[in-house]
Amino acid sequence: MDRGMKMLSSPDIQAILVSLQAASLGTILGLPLAIGIAWVLVRSSFKGKAVLDILVSFPLVLPPVVTGYVMLIVLGRQGPIGSLLYQTLGINVVFTWVAAGLACCIVSLPLMVRAMEVAISGIDPKMELAARSLGAGPIKAFTSITLPLAYRGIISAALIAFARGLGEFGATMIVAGNIPGKTQTLPLAIFTNLQTGDDGNAIRLIVFSLALASISLITHHMLLKRRGFRNQ
Amino acid sequence: MSDFLNFNFSKSYPRFELRTSGSFPDGIVAIFGPSGSGKTTFLNCIAGITIPDTGEIRLNKKLLFSSDSQTNISPNKRRIGYMFQENLLFPHLTVEQNILYGYRLTKPEERTIEPELIVDLLEIRHLLNRNTEGLSMGEQQRIVLARALSTSPDLLLLDEPLGSLHASMKASIILHLEYIYKELQIPIIYVSHSLSEVLKISDYTMVMHEGNQLFFSRTKALFNHPELSRIMSPGAIQNILEATIIEHRATHGITMVQIGTKVLAVPYIHEPTGEVTSISISAADILLALEKPQNISARNILTTTIEKIDPLITNFLIHTGPDPSLKVEITSDALIEMNLSVGMEIYLIIKSNSITLLD
Repeated sequence: MDRGMKMLSSPDIQAILVSLQAASLGTILGLPLAIGIAWVLVRSSFKGKAVLDILVSFPLVLPPVVTGYVMLIVLGRQGPIGSLLYQTLGINVVFTWVAAGLACCIVSLPLMVRAMEVAISGIDPKMELAARSLGAGPIKAFTSITLPLAYRGIISAALIAFARGLGEFGATMIVAGNIPGKTQTLPLAIFTNLQTGDDGNAIRLIVFSLALASISLITHHMLLKRRGFRNQ
Repeated sequence: MSDFLNFNFSKSYPRFELRTSGSFPDGIVAIFGPSGSGKTTFLNCIAGITIPDTGEIRLNKKLLFSSDSQTNISPNKRRIGYMFQENLLFPHLTVEQNILYGYRLTKPEERTIEPELIVDLLEIRHLLNRNTEGLSMGEQQRIVLARALSTSPDLLLLDEPLGSLHASMKASIILHLEYIYKELQIPIIYVSHSLSEVLKISDYTMVMHEGNQLFFSRTKALFNHPELSRIMSPGAIQNILEATIIEHRATHGITMVQIGTKVLAVPYIHEPTGEVTSISISAADILLALEKPQNISARNILTTTIEKIDPLITNFLIHTGPDPSLKVEITSDALIEMNLSVGMEIYLIIKSNSITLLD
């Protein structure tokens, strides 16, 4: 490991850290959102459900550059959310690692929602009703029955989102920029190295990128292979 | 005897409408009817899982639902135990955690039933540390029942709980239900489409058909109700009779009982002479003859007259009387060939073995 670190220069380590931070933030923010959206899509029926369903899938089919641009408009100081954040809290999100995290969140949201939809639709809705008849309120029934039973779906969603976040490129570049040591993520660093002809450094980062992706996918596989809670 | 449940509500769906009103007296009340007659919807409305469109529901005088006053107590606050048609054990919890799930959510001052008692009563103590996989159907049913009872409910709803059980398991659960009503004082509403279950379990029966209640009666008087034949499938109509034991013929394996002025030979009954008991004879198991049959193995040959002939869905139902008053199911072929009509003298032939004891 010591030798490995020496092989990577300080800006490279920075890029790896920014990637890990952004992917983690994206997963942490996205997971509760995805669980909520999936629950609504599976369990409730209302007018406009199809619209929500389609909207959730948008980041999956849009070019990430477009997603990034939309985020830039919304989160920028002139944008509806950005101006609000700036005026009330004095926070500027655009071109920070937080923006990279939000980009990871938006881009991986459809993957998380789909994984959670599969998990929740595999649970008999009467399980929650049984809990209700035993005295549990709606929130208690959800947290004590549905969430534990969807445990495999939650792990799956989190790890897929994390892996996708590590690879996020297009939207991040637009909304967070490519500032070395600040918002430059692993894929952005690889891109920059390739652009400037530093192929050796790029290959080192590519190997590291491969390793990270492999770790998260292997963890995903191992955790889900293990005998867990049966979804009824 | 007081009523525990008063209701008057309706619920509309695109292709189905449920309309009921009435009161249930203390005891075990069965809801009987064919599939799709609204039995489960009725239970769901009582439990608060389905919200009626209009009307009112009261449990022990307490208002649970009223469309007029915009009252709708949520299911978790109704204190009603509900055993769904499917076994819904929580698969991520052990048997013990399942049973304690509702107990822990019950306010200490409302806990009148201790899980310890229930666990012993339902003979599931040896299962407490197991997870929910690999349990037999009977074990699952008892655990679900224990879980519902541990909340000390004011009412127990059961939706076809015996559907998938073996006969011996059914008998044991039925005994448990009787104990629950008598000793724990919890009234029970029991949904079933099996008449034999209804007869064994319930004190009262509400019969439902296409979302409406056809009628409500004491279970023992169920078959005397003229409306019942509208929903009965062939072979399901029973004669329920009060019979007085007059003589045991142990060596022959039979007991002689008296019904009205007539005497019947029935399978041996372990009750002293003089006792009154209930017996049941399927209307399809009674043969009808115009002349007295000779040299026949059936032990019971009774003379009577035809009082009434009713069409069923496919067959015909002959009402005889006044002594004995029985219902006999025959095919339309038999009706035409024998040229049967009201007022005719007939012979009824009943095998001893087709008579079953109810109590």
